[in-house]
Order: sequence, then structure tokens, then C-alpha cells
Amino acid sequence: MIESDTKPDSPNATEAWAQRVLVALETLQRVASRSTISIPTPESDDFAALFKAGEKLVERLQGPKDHRHHDLMNIIGAIRGYSEMLDETADSLHPALREALTPVLRIATQSADGDMLSPISTAGDSVVPSEGTHAELKAAKAGSKSSDTGMILAVDDMPENRDLVSRLLTRAGHTVVTAESGEEALELLTTLAVDVVLLDLMMPGVGGAEVLRRMKDNDRLRATPVIMISGRQDMDQIVSCIQAGADDYLLKPFNPVLLQARIAAGIERKRWHDREEQYRQQLERNERFIRSTFGRYLSDDIVDELLENPEGLDLGGDLREVTIMMSDIRGFTTLSEQLKPQQVMRLLNRYLGRMTDVILEHGGTIDEFLGDAVLAVFGAPKLRDDDAERAMRCAIAMQAAMDGINAENKAENLPELSMAIALNTGAVVAGNIGSERRAKYGFVGHNMNVTSRIEDHVGPGEILASKSTLDAAAGKFATGPARELSVKGIEEQLLVFPVTGLAGEIAS
Amino acid sequence: MSGNPKTVLLVEDNAVNRDMLIRRLTRAGHTVIAAEDGEEALSKMRQEHPAVVLMDMNLPVKDGWTASREASADPALADIPIVALTAHAMDHDREQALAAGCVDYATKPIDFPELLAKIDKWLGQR
Repeated sequence: MIESDTKPDSPNATEAWAQRVLVALETLQRVASRSTISIPTPESDDFAALFKAGEKLVERLQGPKDHRHHDLMNIIGAIRGYSEMLDETADSLHPALREALTPVLRIATQSADGDMLSPISTAGDSVVPSEGTHAELKAAKAGSKSSDTGMILAVDDMPENRDLVSRLLTRAGHTVVTAESGEEALELLTTLAVDVVLLDLMMPGVGGAEVLRRMKDNDRLRATPVIMISGRQDMDQIVSCIQAGADDYLLKPFNPVLLQARIAAGIERKRWHDREEQYRQQLERNERFIRSTFGRYLSDDIVDELLENPEGLDLGGDLREVTIMMSDIRGFTTLSEQLKPQQVMRLLNRYLGRMTDVILEHGGTIDEFLGDAVLAVFGAPKLRDDDAERAMRCAIAMQAAMDGINAENKAENLPELSMAIALNTGAVVAGNIGSERRAKYGFVGHNMNVTSRIEDHVGPGEILASKSTLDAAAGKFATGPARELSVKGIEEQLLVFPVTGLAGEIAS
Repeated sequence: MSGNPKTVLLVEDNAVNRDMLIRRLTRAGHTVIAAEDGEEALSKMRQEHPAVVLMDMNLPVKDGWTASREASADPALADIPIVALTAHAMDHDREQALAAGCVDYATKPIDFPELLAKIDKWLGQR
């Protein structure tokens, strides 16, 4: 017979109702606390009692589940009583207070007149937030620094909570999408660009902690701010969620102003991240640009170093000591006239491709391909102690590589090639040469011309190095007898040596 | 009958609700005394002999039903009208309240003007 404890009311519905009462009460309290509004006695006592009842409601919502429904009903009844009492004296109240009191009264009274079983379903259109609340939110929003609005995903298994959050945030200008389960949330997250996720901790099936974990495991979702929502009794789990990467939390019943503030902070965080991401992508684009631009004539490690220390990328132009290498295929112009264009390209690409590899392996900077000629520099943009030595080794390796190239050429009935290499060490001006629209890292100076003159005198398959290069390479190489060249612009004769191999090796 | 002809005894265990009702009833001109459970209600009834009792049914120590039954069985208290405050407007609650010796009932949440009318009615019958 006695069914007082098995009433068909949904405890969740009561809690949601209590929360809506609190939302309205919160607004009233904010209005009442304005310094410009004075409340006469005895109404001030009544307001104090009303707000105290609100505090009790919060306490009770967070307290034990036993008799919660019963106690909540009692406290809401008290809130209703105080509101009615104040409403009776409304004429003596400040209009703003009257306006803010109305929704409290309306919400607290609701279920008594309507259907006790579903206070939410009678909520209709005007429950929370009321016009007063709306005005407050608008004021709070206007006053807050971050008035940015965004896309919010609210995840809660309780329809009342979804409804409440949705209303609050929609009124504040946000776009709200709701999910009733963790599974649905994860599905929505795969397609939606969400700014902040409002995530209920306790849900059947995939709970809030699991949704959070999966978001943090996902590269695209990792940075999306997550605000956990839970009861005070689940504080331990909230702590572990924060450790797992949740940005913030709200305890039920949450304060709507706090909700707005946390959402705003979350959106700001998201915007920061987006800007950061944009910046990072820009940097990546720059890096790709630098890599693709310099990568053609700089070895990977030099590019890496330049990217790591961009201040070293001073291409403005400086005088520096470098070893210059010029190579070409003897008689290539004549040769190419006897071949089909495709054959010319095939020969050239095989040869230049192989040479590029060898030069980059030796840390050289390829400045230019001019047909069959290659201009490379060792010592710019990065100066190293062994620039001349590496250039010499590189030249030897290049000549050695010709055997393989010629073997392949022969197999394809293409002519054999023989290459000449000139090496010279001296000061050049290195830097970006050209205009803003077209600039390239290049080298100018007398020593470039000197190298070119040496190149004119190199025989097929030979390497000729100037004395300055051999001096810089400190006797590590075996050379043939010196030759004297006269170079325009220099009084004295230029001494050059054919390089025959590494020192100690028998020249072939 | 001796006692306080204008005094209303409010029996309510929920402090928030009790405070509110005391405040409101006082504002409406009644002298209000209060008890927090059925046991205290019976002792206050004996001490103060209030004109009307507003009794919540869901009480600790001794519930409202038992307290009402005991009061109506006690010749010294039987003439004090008890208005049951029940959580739900269900027929069996009403029947139970009347069976327990209550003269009337009001459902929670309280419709205050209606409650005032009931108080006035039972005060007027004394």
C-alpha cells in the first residue's frame, strides 16, 4: 500500500529541475548583489533566506542519493515559497529584481501545476534561461574579453542536461551539437570541427573518461579542449581525467555563469591552438620551400643545419674562402649534335644525376648546371675546415664514377663520356644574386673566372687543381708535374697540378 | 480548551522548507512553533496545545502517520486538528492521512494561499 518511496518520478528529472531552479536563482542573486540595487527590509531577509535555500539545493544535489528526490522537492518547495512571498511584495522591489524573480518563481512552481512526472516536458519555451537570464548572459558575454563563439559538442546521457546546456550555450551565441552517448560523441567528432567538448563523466556504455582517452589518442582531436562534467562524488575520476588531458571540469549542478566562462576559456584555448597550428604549418611550408630550393644544391645535413639555425642563413653576401669546382664533358656539344634529343637527355640526366649524388655526398654546394657543365662550391653557405680536401676527394670520386656511367651508356649504345674537372681555392662573394623576383644563391668574383680558365686546360678524364687548393688540402693528394697557366688579370703565372689520386696511392 | 488559540505547530524535518514556512506563516500573522520529528511534535502538542498542527508525514524518529494516530488516540490531544502535509496528491495518501486521524491534508509543494485557507478554516472551527 505504502508507495511513498516508489514514486514514478524520475530522480534525474528532479535533479534537472533543481538545476534549472538554480540557474534562475543564480541570475537573481547576481542582480540582487548589484550595488545599485538596494533591497528594503524585511525583503532583504527573505532574499537572504531564498539564496540560502539555493545553497542547500546545491548541497543536496551533491549529497547522497538516498532520499535525494524527496529532499530536493522540499527545498524547491521552499524556494517556491520564498519566491511567492517576495512576489507578493514585488511592488516595493527594484524592477530588475522583479524581472529576475519571475523566472525563479515560474520554474519552482512549474511542477506543482503541471505534470509532476515530467517537469522538463512542461518546461516549454521559456524556462531557462528567462529573458532576465538572457540579459545577464548577454551582459556577461559583452563584459568578458573573449566574446568569441564556437561549436560546442555537449555529451550527456540525460536529455534534461543536454537540453539545459544547449539552451544556455545557444543563447550565448554558440553553435551546440549534442550527443547522448560516448559512442555518438566519438562519431560526431570524426566529422565535425568542434571547438570545445562538454563531456559528462558518468554515462552508460562508453563513459566520459573513455571518450577523453580516445580523443587524446587521435592526432586531429588531441588539441580540442575537453571540459568534464560530473558530480562532486566523482572527484577522483575528475582528477584522473585532468591527468589524462582534460582541460577543465564543472561540478553538477553547474553554475551557468561558470559554464559560460569555462566554455569561453576553452574556445580561446582552441583559437590559440589553431593559430599555433597555422603558424606551424606556415613554418613547415617555409621549411619545405627552403628544402626544395636549397636541397637541389645543398646536401641534406647542410639544409638541416640551416633550418635549425636560420640565423646562419645569411645569404646577404659575404666574402669567403671557398674551393670552386667546375666540371664538364669534353666534346659534349659536338656529341649531342649527333644524337637524338631523347638520347642527349638520357646521357645528361644519368651523368648529372650521378654527379649530383657524389657532390652532395662530399658536402658540396651545387651552384649551377650549364648543360653538361657543373659548378659546385665547397665552403658556402657553410664553411668547414676540410673544404678543399673534400673537393679533391669529390673530384676523384666523380672521375671514378664515370666508369659506371660509361658502362651503362655502352649497354644502351650510347657514347662513352670523359669528364674534365678544375679545382681552385680562393675568396669569392657568396650570396643571393638577382632581384626580388628571381634570386639565387650564387658566387661571383675573380676566382670564379680563374677556375673557368683552369677548366679550359683540363684534359679528358683529368683533374686539375690550383696550388691554392693543394695547399689547402695539405698534401693529402698525389699530383703530377705542375703546369703554368697565364690568366687574364693576374700578373704572375698560375700553377696548376693534375691530381692523380690520394697520397700514397699509385697514380693510375 | 486551554492552550494557544492562535498558535500553529509546524512539524517539518527539512530545515530549509521549515524556515520558509515559519517565515511565511509569521508574515501572514500567525504565531508559529516548530518541531522536527513526530516525537517532538507530540511533546510540543502536549506543552503548547497549538490551535492547528501542520504535519509533514515523512518524518524521522516517528513518522507523521504514527504521530497523528497517537495524537488522535490521546484524549488530551485529540481535539487539535492536524493538517497532513503530503508529498503527493495521491488518493491513498489522503485516505491514509484521514485514517490516521488528520482532519485535512495539503500536498507539497505547498500552495500557500490554500494552506492559509485551511488553517483559517480549522482555527475558525475552534
